[in-house]
Amino acid sequence: MSPILKWGLTGVGVVGIGIVVGLCFLAGSPKDAIGMVRYALPHMHRGNLKVGSEAPDATLVGLDGQTRFHLRERSRGKPLVLAFGSFT
Amino acid sequence: MTIYVREAHPLDEWQMKSNEKGQDDVCYAQPKTLEQRVAIANDFTKRFKYNVPFGIDEMNNAANDAYAAWPERLYVIDEQGRVSYKGGNGPFKYDPREVRAWLAGHFGEVKHPEVAPSPAPDGAPAPAGYPGKKS
Repeated sequence: MSPILKWGLTGVGVVGIGIVVGLCFLAGSPKDAIGMVRYALPHMHRGNLKVGSEAPDATLVGLDGQTRFHLRERSRGKPLVLAFGSFT
Repeated sequence: MTIYVREAHPLDEWQMKSNEKGQDDVCYAQPKTLEQRVAIANDFTKRFKYNVPFGIDEMNNAANDAYAAWPERLYVIDEQGRVSYKGGNGPFKYDPREVRAWLAGHFGEVKHPEVAPSPAPDGAPAPAGYPGKKS
C-alpha cells in the first residue's frame, strides 16, 4: 500500500471516528446518536421563511378535534407569537 | 399561540430516557391519526393547566412544513401578517428569553413573570383511549 493511500485512509478513519464521537457527545449516548441521525435530522430544516416574509397560512385543529381555523385569522391586526412544539 | 406538531421523541422513534415514567412521563407513540394528536394535545394542556390559545397541526403537517417548525421553534408575526422574528430550531436554538427580549424591545417591558420549566404534577391523567400511552 502506498504511503499516500495509507495516510488517506487513516485520515478518513480519524474523521469518521470524530464524527461518531461528536454525534454521541451531542446526542448524549450512542443510542441517542443513532436516534438523532435516523429520526431527527431528516425532519429538521432551516426553512425558507425570513424576517419580512409573509407569514404562511395553515389550517389548524382546535382541542375539541372538530373545530378548524386558519392561522391567518389569528395573526391579522395584532402581533402574534407562535410557539411550535410537541409533548415529548 | 401554541401549535402542536408531530412528536419529537415518541416511543416508536427516538424516545429519550427523560420521557419515561418517573421523569417527564410522556411516553407516546408517534400519532398516526388526528384523534391521537388531539388526545396528546389535550393531555398536555390538562396536565399543565395550559391556557394559551392552542392549535393542532393537521396530519399533512402543513403548518410544520410551512414554518420548518419541528421539533420546536418560535416566531413573532406582526400586525401586517409578516414574520418579525424567527427563532432557531429547538432544542439548542429554542430561546424564549430571546423572544421576551425582542418583545420588550418592540412593545415595552414584558409584565408577565418569567416561568421556569416545571415537572408535570403527580397523578396526571392519561388521555382517554389513547393507545400509545404507556402506564
